[in-house]
Amino acid sequence: MKWWRGKHSNLETAPLTGVCVALVLAVVPLLDRMAPWAVAIFAVAILLRLLVNRQQMRLPSMPVKIALLAIGMGGVGISYGGFFGVEPGLGILLILLSLKLLETNTVRDFQVLVLLGWFLCLCGLFFSQDLSRWLYDGCIALLLAASLIRFHYAPRGRSAMRPIWLAVKLVAQASPIILLLFVFFPRSRGDFRFQFSRSVDGVTGMSDQLSPGSFATLTRNENRAFRADFPDGNVPPLSQLYWRGAVLWRGDGMIWARGTGGLPVERPAAQLTGATVRQSIILDPHGSRWLFALDRPASLVRDSEFQPGGFLQSYRPIVAPLRYTVVSRPENHEAGLMPDQRKAALEKPQLISPRVRELVDAWRAENSTDRAVAEAAMHFFRKENFVYSLTPNTYGADALTEFLFERRSGFCEHYAASFATLMRIAGIPSRIVIGYHGGEFNRLGNYVLVRQLDAHAWCEVWLKGEGWIRFDPTNVIAPDRISSGSEYFLESRALAESAAGEPSVGAAGFREMMRETRLAWDNIKYQWDLRVVNYDEDAQQTLFNLAGLGDFAPPVIVLWMAIGALLIFGILAAWLSRVRGETLDPLVREYRKFCRVLARSGVVREPSEGAQHFAERAAALHPEHADAIRKAAALYNAARYGHEAPRPFARAVRELPRLRHITSAS
Amino acid sequence: MKGATPSHEGVTGRVRVLPNRNTLGFVALLVAMWYAGASQNNGAAYLLCFVLGGVALVSILHTHRNARGLRVSIGSVVPAFAGDPQTLRVGALAAIGGMHAAIRIKAGATGSSIAFEEISGPQWQFDQLEHSAAERGFFPDLTLAVSSLYPLGFFSARMTLTIACPRWVYPAAEGNRPLPRHLLPARNRGAGIRTEGDDFAGLRTYVQGEPHRHIDWKAAARGQGLFVKQWAGDSDETLILTWQDTAGLAHESRLSQLARWVVTAERSGLSYALDVPGTALPPGSGERHFHACLRVLALYPAEVGP
Repeated sequence: MKWWRGKHSNLETAPLTGVCVALVLAVVPLLDRMAPWAVAIFAVAILLRLLVNRQQMRLPSMPVKIALLAIGMGGVGISYGGFFGVEPGLGILLILLSLKLLETNTVRDFQVLVLLGWFLCLCGLFFSQDLSRWLYDGCIALLLAASLIRFHYAPRGRSAMRPIWLAVKLVAQASPIILLLFVFFPRSRGDFRFQFSRSVDGVTGMSDQLSPGSFATLTRNENRAFRADFPDGNVPPLSQLYWRGAVLWRGDGMIWARGTGGLPVERPAAQLTGATVRQSIILDPHGSRWLFALDRPASLVRDSEFQPGGFLQSYRPIVAPLRYTVVSRPENHEAGLMPDQRKAALEKPQLISPRVRELVDAWRAENSTDRAVAEAAMHFFRKENFVYSLTPNTYGADALTEFLFERRSGFCEHYAASFATLMRIAGIPSRIVIGYHGGEFNRLGNYVLVRQLDAHAWCEVWLKGEGWIRFDPTNVIAPDRISSGSEYFLESRALAESAAGEPSVGAAGFREMMRETRLAWDNIKYQWDLRVVNYDEDAQQTLFNLAGLGDFAPPVIVLWMAIGALLIFGILAAWLSRVRGETLDPLVREYRKFCRVLARSGVVREPSEGAQHFAERAAALHPEHADAIRKAAALYNAARYGHEAPRPFARAVRELPRLRHITSAS
Repeated sequence: MKGATPSHEGVTGRVRVLPNRNTLGFVALLVAMWYAGASQNNGAAYLLCFVLGGVALVSILHTHRNARGLRVSIGSVVPAFAGDPQTLRVGALAAIGGMHAAIRIKAGATGSSIAFEEISGPQWQFDQLEHSAAERGFFPDLTLAVSSLYPLGFFSARMTLTIACPRWVYPAAEGNRPLPRHLLPARNRGAGIRTEGDDFAGLRTYVQGEPHRHIDWKAAARGQGLFVKQWAGDSDETLILTWQDTAGLAHESRLSQLARWVVTAERSGLSYALDVPGTALPPGSGERHFHACLRVLALYPAEVGP
């Protein structure tokens, strides 16, 4: 025997194929996180294992496996520079999986292989907790379970769906226990030293910078940013929903950046007035530290702080869906502007062209108050022939001049940036706020869905005695954008631009239907995020309080949970045993009764004895009832082999006379 | 009902569901999933953990149900010599209906096992189980270990059944001493050693321990193996196998040697008598006599003391 050849393959094709399919499906969404060579090894292992199984070839021997392990581990060490972290961990998992696959030949191997597959499903959930992703991984886990069932038991002449059906049945029967565990198992926010993973799938969203085109690129991005519901029921009109993300202080013409370093932080909560609007927000992970809230946030969220400009920022990057409640108040009466903030808010661009200077000086000359100057600027945008465009092309070196006097075509960031810059040139403190505007109200779930295409930028101008006042130049350029939301605006623009001219009613109806479907699906996903993904310690405590369990210590709750699980377990056990009794064929049941009656009289059927022979033997020992016994046996055979009804046989058994025991016969 | 359940009616027992060596890995996976859920505040991981945990819990019930009500029987067992495999005809019946999947039946604690892929329907299903009979003696019953990993394999259903199954295990037929020379004259023939004048009846394979005189050395020289010449008159001789003939051997080896002689004598068609302390069987031959002798040897008391 050659040294590389191990044992003969010993597995059935069906369960092995099932596991291979499940593993491939589990690996596919993780492909971009795994080294190509590791994926190649995995693919080769899958093909090889299936091939070996098919042709009754031999599995690789121990030296080959050890060599492969060494190569794989070395590869992980070299290509990732270490063994710790998500990517190396996935690489190691993939190598181990490939090796286990190659050596799988016994019951134990197969069980371990399925365990590794389930672990791979778990890894998928590190990167996304979406409902669709969970369903995907859940189906893979189910397929693995079905393969395991199929491995232990190959149904004779029955369809391949049977193990899958049984796996589904197991989940269905387990669902009360699953629900119980999910709701009552204590959630803790302990200090976990070792983290499996702390990163998110490449999210494209807002950036910390504002430059021409940075928002326009988001208009095609339909990804969700967050969802907000209003627990008090006071949903403001969509056009009033300015979701504050961050404030940009440092501006240079059309390019703006945070520049919050070194700036003092005001205490916004003390200066805000007006009706409070409470929002409960589920923020999708974006990898940055944004925490969005309606203008203007008045309360802090856990592990967050206020930044200069009165916006919220998380201490840590947000890598998992985050649920928080925040209170906003729409009005403010800031009495004074801190000197450092004033200085930052007045910093003029390095390059101011004469034409711009001329324009601003004219406004200054005509108007006495700052407010009037700002209104004049708004009027300028409205009066002149400015165009709201998604594709404004790039601007040259003096973008501001080019934009204001020549091209006059831009997206919200162009208008916000130019307006804020013009205000600073006029000596009025200004800043840019970035965030989202509007959203889509979901009637089914009573929440507002905000997507990346709702990203928006607007201005705030400091007016003495009034505080920071919002000016949104986009409002005067494209009022539709503000009143009916980004998507409708874009859609109507697209329609207007389409060659057909008037859109057909059918197409509009179809689009409306698609929109309704999308909203319904999003509502389901929202409920998932709300009730499953974000069911944490706080949510659990809230639920316990609501159910009057708030005062119980966790051990007591765990005890009751265990008692409840046992109860469900017992009920299920009773139900399952009932089902088994019913599955018995009535003819078989009657035949057993027949045999029991005769056995009681001392005539016991031999295991291999047929009904005819047994009856003859019994008849010989009970000559006085020979006819009744023979008749019953004949009826049984007629029902069993002649497809007669089992009822006559049952009657014959019932009417069988009382038989004396053969030992007392003489 | 009178008396105990007859063995061929089958025996069923209490099913215990126990963790096995696959359980540990599964628990480790659940802990990993819980840890991922807790450390990342990952609700999806929590749910996957609870789904798998719940399914495993429910699988305990299915494992139990799968084995419950299974009846197992053993057919009459052919006697065997100690150390030889004894074939058991094991029957299985789904006595309370339904289906039993992936049932494994093992003889004793360490014996070999057979697997039934599926047991269902009204008929008994049979399979041969090779059981290695280690010790001589008479055994009224046999303990079978019935187990099943169905459906998920993370728990085992186990049922230990003691089934009435009268079983003889004779001492291993071993020893290389020649047949003793105590020959009783039969039909008043000469008391000498086997006479060569009898009719040659044929050849049969040599069994170790037989006198070398009868070996057909010519056949051996031709490379055909060892054969023993047989003469038609053999049956007229009577051999007396006594305990004293085995003097010098250890206790169990003496029994083995006697068993060897009984086998040789029976195969050679000789008439033989057995004389061991406590029991003396008169000369005879044939199946009945053969087994009677071997049963005496099987039941012979073990050596007492050192």
